[in-house]
Amino acid sequence: MRHLISAFVFLSLSFCSLYSLAQQKFTINGYLKDAANGEAMIGATVYIKELNSGTTTNEYGFYSITIPAGNYVLQYNYIGYKAILQEVALDKNYRLDVELNAEATQLNEVEVVDEKDRPAAQNTSMSFNKMDVSTMKKLPTFMGEVDVIRSILLLPGVSTVGEGASGFNVRGGSVGQNLIYLDEAPVYNSSHLLGFFSVFNPDAVKDITLYKGAVPAKYGGRLASVLNVRMKEGNSKKTEVTGGIGTIFSRLAIEGPILKNKASYIIAARRSYIDVLARPFVSVLKNGGALNFYDLTFKVNYNFNDKNKIYLSSYFGRDNFLFSANQGFSWGNATGTLRWNHLFNNKLFFNQALVFSKYDYHLQFGNNSQNQFVWNSAITNYIYRPDFSYFINSNSEVNFGGEAIYYTFEPANASGTTNGVPVNVSLDKKYNLETSLYASHSLKVSPRFSIDYGLRYSNFTLYGPGTQYYYNDTVPGVRKSVVGQKTFSKGQPIQTYGNLQPRFSFKAQLNELSSIKGSYNRMVQYLHLISNTTASNPLDVWTPSTPNIKPELGDQVTMGYFRTLNTSKTQYEFSMETYYRATQNQIDYINGASLLINRYLEGDLLSGKGRAYGLEFYAQKKTGRFNGWISYTLGRTELSVNGINNNNWYPTRYNQTHNLKVVGFYEINKRWSFSSNFIYTSGTPTTFPTSRYTEQGILIPYNANNSRNNVTLPSYNRLDIAFTFQGKEYNKAGRKRKNHDYWAFSIYNLYARKNPFSIYFSQNDVQTLPGQPLVSQATQLSIIGSIVPAVSYNLKF
Amino acid sequence: MQSKISFLFFVSFVLAMVFSACETTIHPTLQSAAPVLVVDGWVNNKYQKQTILLSLTQPYFDDAQPVGVSGATVTVQDLTDNTLYSFIENPSVPGSYEWTPTTSIFGAVGHDFNLTLMVNGEVFIASSHMGRVPPIDSITFAQDQNFRSSGKIRYTGQFWAKDPIGVGDTYWIKATVNDTLLTLPTEINTAYDAGLSAGGEADGVVFLLPIRRGINPDRSNRTNNPSPFWPGDSVYVEINSITHAAFNYLSEVVTQTNRPGGFGQLFATPVANVSTNITNTNPKGSQVVGFFNVAAVSGRGQKFKLN
Repeated sequence: MRHLISAFVFLSLSFCSLYSLAQQKFTINGYLKDAANGEAMIGATVYIKELNSGTTTNEYGFYSITIPAGNYVLQYNYIGYKAILQEVALDKNYRLDVELNAEATQLNEVEVVDEKDRPAAQNTSMSFNKMDVSTMKKLPTFMGEVDVIRSILLLPGVSTVGEGASGFNVRGGSVGQNLIYLDEAPVYNSSHLLGFFSVFNPDAVKDITLYKGAVPAKYGGRLASVLNVRMKEGNSKKTEVTGGIGTIFSRLAIEGPILKNKASYIIAARRSYIDVLARPFVSVLKNGGALNFYDLTFKVNYNFNDKNKIYLSSYFGRDNFLFSANQGFSWGNATGTLRWNHLFNNKLFFNQALVFSKYDYHLQFGNNSQNQFVWNSAITNYIYRPDFSYFINSNSEVNFGGEAIYYTFEPANASGTTNGVPVNVSLDKKYNLETSLYASHSLKVSPRFSIDYGLRYSNFTLYGPGTQYYYNDTVPGVRKSVVGQKTFSKGQPIQTYGNLQPRFSFKAQLNELSSIKGSYNRMVQYLHLISNTTASNPLDVWTPSTPNIKPELGDQVTMGYFRTLNTSKTQYEFSMETYYRATQNQIDYINGASLLINRYLEGDLLSGKGRAYGLEFYAQKKTGRFNGWISYTLGRTELSVNGINNNNWYPTRYNQTHNLKVVGFYEINKRWSFSSNFIYTSGTPTTFPTSRYTEQGILIPYNANNSRNNVTLPSYNRLDIAFTFQGKEYNKAGRKRKNHDYWAFSIYNLYARKNPFSIYFSQNDVQTLPGQPLVSQATQLSIIGSIVPAVSYNLKF
Repeated sequence: MQSKISFLFFVSFVLAMVFSACETTIHPTLQSAAPVLVVDGWVNNKYQKQTILLSLTQPYFDDAQPVGVSGATVTVQDLTDNTLYSFIENPSVPGSYEWTPTTSIFGAVGHDFNLTLMVNGEVFIASSHMGRVPPIDSITFAQDQNFRSSGKIRYTGQFWAKDPIGVGDTYWIKATVNDTLLTLPTEINTAYDAGLSAGGEADGVVFLLPIRRGINPDRSNRTNNPSPFWPGDSVYVEINSITHAAFNYLSEVVTQTNRPGGFGQLFATPVANVSTNITNTNPKGSQVVGFFNVAAVSGRGQKFKLN
């Protein structure tokens, strides 16, 4: 395998050298930063007019461009910032660190640079969305809380099964098929309070990027998407305190320089305070009970010199629901990332990361030591990840690296004491190592045609100690029984899987404004989120691939048309993409599967294939007092599993035919601004019974057609609005105020629609008298059945 | 299962404090379906009339007594000692096929049984096994300390019995409180050895707490008087031995029928048909649902008196 990769790297390098002609070339490199706070600018463009060529900054704000000697004007651009033009007489290598200033305000409509001077996006990336936290902060909120996951739900191809559901679905993938990174550390549960709020503190987040397809070879491990949440580095210019009081959380963040332009930090905390308010009224909370969720985010960076920089970031979050001092539930994520950026030379950028991530939950029942039950479950990762970027010239860039992840799965460490007799129902821990190597090459073949091709190889091994159970083949859809078991000693490999994952994308520029892009990629997923409930929940367990559970494979093809449309004053962007993803070894569950603390879980799992396809439209007005976007997705996602739905294809629980989102922002005046969003989605599928019968006095629903997801719920629609009121810029004495504050007012579900989350069927819960027929009923549930207004106050000084 | 349910209950409670979910009873149009034969075949070794009920499924919203299926031949054969039990239809209750013990009770522990049904020219079969069952040593009542702080008095009951040594005994514990058999989905109480599920390594010990406490009636809907027991109440507890298939069947029944609503719906599993151990000998013949189980039963009653 290693030979294959090195051969590949060698080939791509020699391919590139064809383009490096004899002419003398020099390199310009450096970092792009925000002049106000020193934050690195990610994805900013560096454009050379004379060559009609350029590059973009990487996720650390670094760029490197190698071009022939000559006189050039470099244009540094970032949306919402004043472009900087830099003349260079290129006769040697240059290091140019540039700081950009934000446009004063959108109110003074800025002259957009003549459209010919605008660099058309040079990269081949598609099926990709980026959102700054400043945009998230302008969106209407749910209960006044700026929320990362809720914000991405407004992007094309992203959906949810309803309010309160944790996670999100991308292009018909399940919640467990998204790889969520917080500063390169995987986050296994992105939600607080089930799915109402996400775990990311907006005060500490810089931006997010979401790959829905055409995933770079650098990433792997989940089928549907990669969500990168990047934390701020902390203001390197001055100390700044940000705080806020909302309906749910109180927030406080402090950031600032440790050593001027050398080191900075940010520390941000949030805590829900509903328990503090409720304590006098709720007796449970007075007696050792707890109801709170909080998170703490911390990051520090240190700039050793021009060539070396380290970052340390960490996150800790927890949800606590205790109904007495020692009974209840808690869950949370903890992550830590240590990164070291190193410039080997002005063309070779190196980053290596050491990452720790853990998700765990804890349940405890029983009020005395004679009778109690304690259950812990966790997934722990240690990751080492080296990544190299080699900027060969303005037309060619090679990325290569690797990844090693050591996982420990602890499905249940559960023990009880019953009447003084200890009982242990713990399940074996599972140990895995996932190693990957990748290389990719971005190449501008001609001014109008670029390609990006790469290969990732990953290897996954399940190690002992542990007992592996083997199951019989039975009628599909029926619980399998154990036919054998084998015990493995410590370090002994139980099962190994290896997979090659080719990645390819291209861009053909039709003219200066429009292009066609296409891609193919294969993704492999070795860990599986075991969940058969309507919405994913904190008790869901991640389980690795084993001899019985094969890795999930996904092949996605995408094709898209992209166009920018610029008038003298405003910039528009339009895109249309189609995708088709075929998946193998998708997991589904037998009827009545038992998924928690079940030693024989694998006997309850089924495996099948899936397909998801759709069409996404996206139109954005990027500039001006009035801006926003429209996103529409037409999609379908289905599974075919032997033993379910009479072996026919059936739509998944998160299938949505139509998904429309309209988002608008308007700056009324210098102090007031308005935003609104409207969402319309088709209802998600559900299963209805046809009949009923009574067995031993119990009313049982029956679906005579034995179908799955045979009905669609009513559609979902909602309108939210928000107003932001900025505090005065000047105090009474006419001096500029040192601190900046604003009020955010939002109304969620403005017309109070009772959007159905689910319809369920049950026996009327009134005890019927013997001999009387049982009464059945259907109930439609709306999680949010009313208008939800909220207000938050935010302060920065 | 129980721990998950209480988790859901608690989280739902918390969410209900924070948000306002909203529920409406609706009458959606359902797909129509032909009726299917239903077998309610739970017999035991108690010295009393044993009944196997045959009926038809009804449209889901048809709140009428199910229609009995008359004219069938219903026999159970004890494969171990070759006794044939013929169940005779009660002429006044269509679809009710009965066998009444005269000299000896039905079957014996350790025996295997086959059920054969001949209904309208079709033959349906099922098999079962009568497992062993431990005696109930005692039933106790106590005031729930957890609730003392809330100022409300709450009494709960527990039964005490010890699972015999040997892995794989499965039970359905049924409780009758003041002559009412507890049949709400939240009141179905099953055990795998002394624990909640297979592989729990809870073998040969006293039943775990959630099972011992599973005899309390679900009165969570009563706002004025939610205590499961009050002094003066009486409870009769029966341990029924069931097959593994019946254990799985009951856990599916709980999943399918326990729909607490509210935020608990976030964790609901999809509607799916529960399993059956009845098969049509003609694979292309008509469908059938229901279950056949032969149980050994141990029982004990207790009246709750405050000392």
